[in-house]
This record gives sequence, C-alpha cells and structure tokens, in this order.
Amino acid sequence: MEKLYTFLKYTFITLWTVFIVAPFLWAVSTSFKDFQSVNSKVTYIPWLDFEPTLEGWRVLVKSPARGGVDIVEPYFNSIFVTCTASLVSIVLGTLAAYALSRFTFKAGFIRNNDITFFFISQRIMPPIVLSIPFFIFLSTIGLLDSLLGLVVVYIVLLMPIAVWIMVDFFNRVPKELDETALIDGCNPYQAFYKVVLPNSIPGLIVAGMFCIIFGWIDFFFAFILTFTEVQLLPVKVVALNSSITPWWSLSASALISVAPLIIVAFVVERYLSKGNLSGALK
Amino acid sequence: MAKIDLSNISHSYNPNDANPTFALNPFSMTWENGKRYAILGPSGCGKTTMLNIVSGLVKPSKGNILFDEKDVTNLITEERNIAQVFQFPVIYSTMTVYDNLAFPLKCRNFSKEKIDERVKSVSDTLRLSSFLNLPARKLTADQKQLISLGRGLVREDVAGVLMDEPLTVIDPDLKFRLRRNLKEINEQYKTTLVYVTHDQNEAMTFADNIIVMDQGEIVQVGLPKDLFERPKTTFVGYFIGSPAMNIFDSEVSSEYSVKINNIEIKTNSKLTKLKDKNVKLGIRSEFINVVEKEGENTIKASLTRVEDFGNFKLLTANMDNFVIKSKVDRELPISIGDINLYIPPEKCCVYANEKLI
Repeated sequence: MEKLYTFLKYTFITLWTVFIVAPFLWAVSTSFKDFQSVNSKVTYIPWLDFEPTLEGWRVLVKSPARGGVDIVEPYFNSIFVTCTASLVSIVLGTLAAYALSRFTFKAGFIRNNDITFFFISQRIMPPIVLSIPFFIFLSTIGLLDSLLGLVVVYIVLLMPIAVWIMVDFFNRVPKELDETALIDGCNPYQAFYKVVLPNSIPGLIVAGMFCIIFGWIDFFFAFILTFTEVQLLPVKVVALNSSITPWWSLSASALISVAPLIIVAFVVERYLSKGNLSGALK
Repeated sequence: MAKIDLSNISHSYNPNDANPTFALNPFSMTWENGKRYAILGPSGCGKTTMLNIVSGLVKPSKGNILFDEKDVTNLITEERNIAQVFQFPVIYSTMTVYDNLAFPLKCRNFSKEKIDERVKSVSDTLRLSSFLNLPARKLTADQKQLISLGRGLVREDVAGVLMDEPLTVIDPDLKFRLRRNLKEINEQYKTTLVYVTHDQNEAMTFADNIIVMDQGEIVQVGLPKDLFERPKTTFVGYFIGSPAMNIFDSEVSSEYSVKINNIEIKTNSKLTKLKDKNVKLGIRSEFINVVEKEGENTIKASLTRVEDFGNFKLLTANMDNFVIKSKVDRELPISIGDINLYIPPEKCCVYANEKLI
C-alpha cells in the first residue's frame, strides 16, 4: 500500500512536471530554429534534427546593419512601470490595509468590511469596463501614451491586490502586538514601522509578488493606452507577429518575457520555505 | 512606581447607543505605591477593561485616572510609562531575546550601559541569560511569555506593572517560582503590581489586596482572610473558596437568630432592622464541625457522600432540600448515616438581598 502510494505520487509528479516543462522546452528548441526547420517537418533536437541558429534571438535587438525589432526598450519600460506601480501600490496598500485592520471607520452605512470590499471589487470588475474611463482620464490630463500614465493606471489595478492580501495578513497579527509596542513606549507610527511591519515581511513579499506578476503580464491596458511613443513588452511581443509567423523570434521573446517572473518565483520560494511565513507570535 | 487613583471610572463600549451597556460600572479605587493587587473574577466581568483603562489602551467613558495625583486620563499609552503583560506571549519575533528585553528602554532613549545592566538583571531573574542572543521566535511558549514578562519588568521607573493572566501558558512548577519572583521584585523595587486572574489560589498567594469583580461591578476589596471569612456578597462566597460557601435560604426569627427549616441558628449579626425577613445564611464548609450530640446551633442531617482529598475529607450531607458541605480532618472516623453538624455563630454571615449585614 505504502509502495503503491509512493509510486502513484512520483508518477503524478513526473507527469505534472512534463506537462509544465514541455512547452518551455519546446519554446527553447523553437527559438533556435530557422524558417526551414519550423515549416518543413517536425523537428525536436538541435544538431540532430536541425541546425540551430541565433537568428530568432538576433531579431529582437535592433541594429543599423541588420534591422530587426527593438524589444530592449519595451523590456525596460515594462520593468520600470511594473516596479514603480508595485512599489507605490505596496506602500499605499499596506498603510490602507493597516488602517482597515486596526481602526474602525464609519460613514453612513459603510464600515471597514465595505471599504475592503470596495478595493476588491475593482478587480472583480471586467477590465473592459474601465478602458474608456481610463482613456478619457489619461487624455484629459495629457498622460496618454506615456510611462507615467501607465504607472498611474497600474497603481489603480495593483493596489487592490496589495490591500486585499495585507488586510488579511494584518488581521492575523494579534492587536496585542501593537498594544505592547505602545506600552513599551512607541507612538502609533513607531509601533507600525518598528514592530508590526517587520513582522509582516512575509505578507509584503507575497503581496509584492502578486503585484509584480499582475503588472508584468497585463496586455489589455498596455495595448489600449499606448500607441507609438511608449510600448510595453507584452504589446511588443504580440506586434512581432506578421503575415509569416516568426515562431523562432516569438519563442525567444516569450522566454525572455517570463524570465523575470521565474527569477522572482525562485527567490520568493527560497525565502518562504525558510519558514519565515510562520508568524511566530504565539 | 506610583500611587494609582481611579476616580469615578466607568466604561461602555457602546456609549452612543440609546441604552449603553456598561462593561464597568462607576467605581473609585486607589492602588497604593509598591503594593500587590489581584483582580479576581469570572470571564467577561470587566477585569481586562479595567487594566486597559489604566494603561491607556482604552479611554474610559467617564472618570479620571491619576498617577501620583497627576491626571493622566488624556495621556496616550506611550506617555503613561506603564507596563502591561498579556495573557498570551507577545514577542517581537524579528528581534533577538536581548533586543526584545531592551526595546522598552531603547524606545525611551536610555543609555547603552543602563540598558545592558537592566537586561542582564532581568534576564538573570527570569533565567533567560543563556538565550539572550537567540532570535526570540525560536523559544518555547513559556519562554516567550517570560520575555513578555521581562519587558514589563525591565523599566525600574514604571508607574505599575499590569498583568493580565500572565501565567496561563506556563507550567505549574515554573508558575510557582515566578509568582515568588514577582513578589521578590515587588519587595525589592517597590513596584506596584496588578495581577488579573480567575484563579483564586493564584490571587490569594500573590496579592496583599484582592479585588473581586462581577459583571462590571467591584463587589469586594480586601485581604485574602476577609474575602474568605466575611464575603460581602453571596457571589464572593460562591466564587472564593473550594468548595463554595454553604448558603441557605432562611428566615429571621429573633434579634440574632435565623431559622432554617425550623431549626434555630444563632448568629452574631443584629437582624432587627431588616424589613424583609427572608435572608440567606452563609457558612464556610471549613467552619462546620461534626459533633456527637444535638444541641444549640446544630443541624441533624444525613451524610450521603464522603470524599477523601488526602489532606482533608469533604462531607456532603442532606437536610430535606438543603445540601451542606463540610471540610473535616481526614483522620476523623465517619460513616454514612445521620450526623450532627455544629455551626459556630461567630462564623455565620447573614445576607439580605445578597449583601452582607
């Protein structure tokens, strides 16, 4: 019974791993192919099935001699927009979440839970509903097709995630911790940043990770709110497509698009598995 | 170290409602400098609310709090210089044990030498010295509670140390030692200690003065002996002592006597002024003696159960619908059947409307 269980367990994990990893391997393999290797017959292994070439990768960097599409600038644009928006969202979202967790707000029939739900409802709404208001808003303040405009919109999209995760996290931090800090001589602000915040680092990391992921993968708003001046990575990757689908360069750009997320996932996994997520309060 | 005055304090958690419910009914009390107080009462009686009002975590709906005659009612917690220890350990899990203990002093800008000296002294008392450099989260639950306690004791100049059932998570052996330590600390530094508990033994062994609370009301303040022998209300009689006080419905029959089931019991209380003749007679099971012959102030009852507790025997006897409990010497030969129980008049407490006459 024990052996059967182990056998099934490993079989399942193996199948799952293949399921997850296969598309990546396929993309890696395709990124080194040329037109011939993709379109003539099915090929798998470099040097055996086909002669690898760097053409798919070279196309992604624009050079005067060879032409190509510039993906470097959109790449850094995406990094800038995602990081800035995530950072602002985490800072503002954490402060909002702390207030929602610790203080009681009343405005008519509105209570703390309603405010929290208001934040979450921004994510429940289909993004298309927001597209026209955002478009008009950005064009009115003159930030259409600019990095700053995108940052503003992304903060709106990412802050609910930060608030949502952090409210839940702070609710699980006993209020006695803040009270102890007050008794030990902190003022409420010191109690927050000297005591509560260091205890909340695991929550901040999780919230930060979600913000980065959702910011990085957004195509919809990046597509609608930019035209020529500024482009973000997802839009640029899609723009690589043409009448003859360049599978090789699409694969290469897809790989470098997910690379930052894979790095983030590994770093966070390392940190969380060290046991730092456990609150250690009781 | 300070004298703490609570003057006309009352508190409601819903003061703006049409019918506010009071967690604490109006009361006044003084906690003398350097004494040990225990607040005793069942869960939900307002003990924790009272502590939180003193430490400033809760602002009372009415009344004033004075530390050494200085009104601190409107001061926030950090300005009151008070220490409070909660029921469950609260530690700063990202800091080491040393930093945890030093935190209250660092917040108040003490010199490094002073911090070092105080942390060493407190960690010696609490036997935490060997853990000082470990991250606090690595310690066991009772060691964590010691850290909480240590943070409360590390400041010498606090107005008082408030403890909210601090020893719940600590094992009995260590509990006993810690209570003694707290007493020593109190005697050495003359710190005012206030200790909330629902365990009467803890309260009795720890405190100079015990404050008994029930449903937001302070029902009695006094020495352990007073609470035991002269409970001011039937509640205190029930709550203090194990087993609870024997309380019988009775009727006033003459100037000093009451009648239980037509048996006249003399007391030392003067009962002439009472309008309502229905009263209650309270007597501790420790004071009821088994006697051979019937006589004045004896009750004939049938013994139904004898429980041997090792150091004493607990007798349960019935007289019609009354149940009488008596604690007797374990050497006393006794058998199931009819017995005579003597009730000493000087130990009788008579209650009218649940209050001692």
